[in-house]
Formats: sequence, C-alpha cells, structure tokens
Amino acid sequence: MSDGFLGYVRPDGRVGTRNHLLVLSVTGLTGPSARRVAATLRGAVFAGTPYHGGMIGTDRDLHRRTLAGLAGHPNCGAVLVLGADPPVVEEVAAAARAAGTPVEAVALDDCGHDALTLVDVAIRRGAGLLKALSRQRRVAVPLSGLVLGLECGRSDPSSGLVANPVIGMVSDAVVAAGGVSILGETVEWTGAEDRLAARATDPALGGAIVAAVLRREALAVAAGVDLTGTNPGATNIAGGLSTIEEKSLGAVAKSGTASVAGLLATAERPARPGLHVMDAPAYAPESLTSFAAAGATLMLFATGVGNSFGAALAPTLKITANPDTAARLPTQIDVSLAAVFTGEETLHDGAARLLAAVRDTASGATTFAEIFGDGEDAFSRLGESL
Amino acid sequence: MSDDAVVLHAADDVATLLRALPAGSKASTRTPTGTIVLTLCADIPRCHKVAVRALAAGAPVRKYGAVIGALTAAVDPGDHVHVHNLSSLRGRDWHDG
Repeated sequence: MSDGFLGYVRPDGRVGTRNHLLVLSVTGLTGPSARRVAATLRGAVFAGTPYHGGMIGTDRDLHRRTLAGLAGHPNCGAVLVLGADPPVVEEVAAAARAAGTPVEAVALDDCGHDALTLVDVAIRRGAGLLKALSRQRRVAVPLSGLVLGLECGRSDPSSGLVANPVIGMVSDAVVAAGGVSILGETVEWTGAEDRLAARATDPALGGAIVAAVLRREALAVAAGVDLTGTNPGATNIAGGLSTIEEKSLGAVAKSGTASVAGLLATAERPARPGLHVMDAPAYAPESLTSFAAAGATLMLFATGVGNSFGAALAPTLKITANPDTAARLPTQIDVSLAAVFTGEETLHDGAARLLAAVRDTASGATTFAEIFGDGEDAFSRLGESL
Repeated sequence: MSDDAVVLHAADDVATLLRALPAGSKASTRTPTGTIVLTLCADIPRCHKVAVRALAAGAPVRKYGAVIGALTAAVDPGDHVHVHNLSSLRGRDWHDG
C-alpha cells in the first residue's frame, strides 16, 4: 500500500472503506422493526426514512434518490431492504442489485402485515447476508478510490484559519490522484460564490453555482431570515471574522484549490471524478446523508468548539485546530491540528498528518463517531405530504 | 520557535494572528514564501487580522487569495484590519434592498 489504502472493491468498480450490512427501512412504518433487526445483528447499520406515503413531485424524487444512493453504497457488503409495499421495497432493492450488492427484501404486505413476522424473517435473512459478507477482503487500491465528503459544524475562528485549509489540501491530494471530493452546505458559500464559480471547468457551470447560492439566499429572505444579522454574527466578529466573504471563504477553503468539475443536486451521485459542489442543506445530519447518498465513503468534519455527530455509513474523521477543544474532547476529536494553530507545525505538515489518517481510516482504523454509534441519517424534505 | 501569525496565500493583504499580542509586538509571520516580521500597531486579539502592506482607503483586501472586502480607511503594515475599517462588498446588496 504505497500511497493508496486497503478497500473493498465492489462489483460496480467502486471502493468501500467499510463492509456493513445495511438494514434500510424505506418507510417510517417499518422503522421500529428495522431498528430491532439492526440491533439484533452485530455488524448491521440502520438507516431509514420516517416518511413515505403522500410524498409528491421533487420532494418524492429526492427521497427515492437518497434511498437508492444508500442502497447501492460501496460501504455496504450487503443490504436488507425493509418496507411495507412490495413495489417500493423492490425499487430500492433494485438499486442495490445495480451496484452488484447482495440484497434481501422483506415487505410487511408479504408477511401478513405482521411486524413480528417481518422482524423474524429479516433477522434470519440478515444473518445469512452477514455470514456471506464476512468473507469479503480488503485489497490494495489507489487513492483515486476515495470519495470524500467535506463538512463543518460548530465552527470557530480556528476552522477557517487552519482546519478547513488543511482539509482543502487533503481534498486536493485526493482529487489530484483521480478521486472524488464533495463540498456541500450551499448557504455557507454565500459571499464566496464568485470565487467558486471562477474555479469551475466551464462558464455555464460557474453560472449554475452562483444561481444555486442566490436561490438559497432568496429562500432565506422570503422566509424572513436575516442572513446579514448572522453572517458574520456578534460571536464571529468578536472572533475575528469581518465580512461574510471572509466567513464563507473560510468555509469554502475545505474544497482546496482544485477546479470544480460539477454541481450536484442534493444526494446526486457524481458522474465523473474530481471536486464537486453539492447544492444541499448545511445541517450536518442532512448534509452527511446527502454525501452518503452520493457515494461518499469517508467524511472530513471540521469543528471549532466540538460536535460529536458523524455519518452512519461512512467513517467520519472529526478534526479541530482549536487547542482547547482538542484537550477537552479526547474521545471525540480524531485528528487534532492544534499544533498548526499554535504555530509549531506548518499547514503542510498538518495536511500530511491528516492524509495519513485518511488512508489509515479508509483502510479500517476506526473513528470515535463509529465507536459510539453517534450518527444517523436524516432524509431532506422539499415540501408537504398529501 | 513557533509562529505568531500566518498569511494563507501569497496574494493576501492580511496576516491572521494565531495568538493575542500587544501593540508594538514583533509578530513572526509565516507566509507561503517564507517568514516575515510584522510590528503590530495596536493590541490584536487572537484570530484577528493585520495588514501586511500599506493600502489606501477603498482598496480591496485579499485573504485566502480572494477579495474579502474593501478598506474604508488607509492602513499601514501592522494595522488592525476589521469591521471598523473593512466593509463587505457582498453584504451591501442586502443593506440597500
């Protein structure tokens, strides 16, 4: 393993950093049952939507896209799809099949509408899937096999100054190697959108990036949300941030200097390698779920004051450059860049350390969010249910 | 020896302090092209910015290699650059609307 990592090569050619049994509930009606199944089977990870019935239009499209993305995720060695209506269950199971992932599908309607029967059947089928997936082995793969998700939460001045630029250097390294990196949280590009657009591989893409930011800004204004009052807010100003451009450039620094190869819709899977920006919510549970649905296999999550949340399906490296936070949260912070912040280490040294941690984690080293199970998928909504 | 401040991009007009320092301090500042020393003209809190060169009122200010605003007053190297003399170019649209 020269400069890549050890991963699970899937039938569709994508590479997993983990080998989970995903227990995926496609409707809220089977959520509790699916959690029961996942709790019984060691090695199972639960994901599920609380919704289904009555969804329409683009709201429903986003839901189906998210479910399909999770079902076909490269970090799944197998998938157990649970739901109520057989056609709905089948549609999601087909996404797993398209990825070549072994899948079992169980619908309430086929179990006499008895949730206890569904749980029994699912546990037995899940056990068989776990036995089979445990035979899969990691092999040496190049760094291009990685799909990174870039996130920040509970930021403070150390985030924009150190943590995010260092993440950007690692993102650049993965992109240069032929991998994929995804920046989301559209509202945090506000003030930096021209800079992002200038890095687009063509002017039309640049225009689309700017349009995405303006659309989300208009949403806020229409709802009476005062973006100027909070960007930068009093705490940000006391902390040293002077303008929204500076705040957003600090956030966008996570994306490094690479050209932007594409603009993705929420939960949309990229069609080519490179750095992509995703038009998606900033809220971490929704943001991370959107990245996972797009196929992100490892998340880099910068925090200033601390944030324990991670993705359920993909290892999430929790990173801070705040020395107080790193000292206070030794069982939350996976990689401390405090030495860069105190000036004892350069940004490049910090990036080398973070890249080593990325390769290590991609190869199987665990993270605190995984140890504590501190993450759960959140399905974004765009509208009302009938 | 550790750094007192950092300049992130070669084109930047400001350095950001890694620790609070009093006026008159000689801040050892790491830049992409080497280390420079900036004499601070005021007490500067941690993570606040100081100019690395003299700039006129109205001049654009770069950080992260991009424009983060424009000066409302001239500055000398080592001067504090913040909300009292730096104005957003983006945020203006909302105030006007």
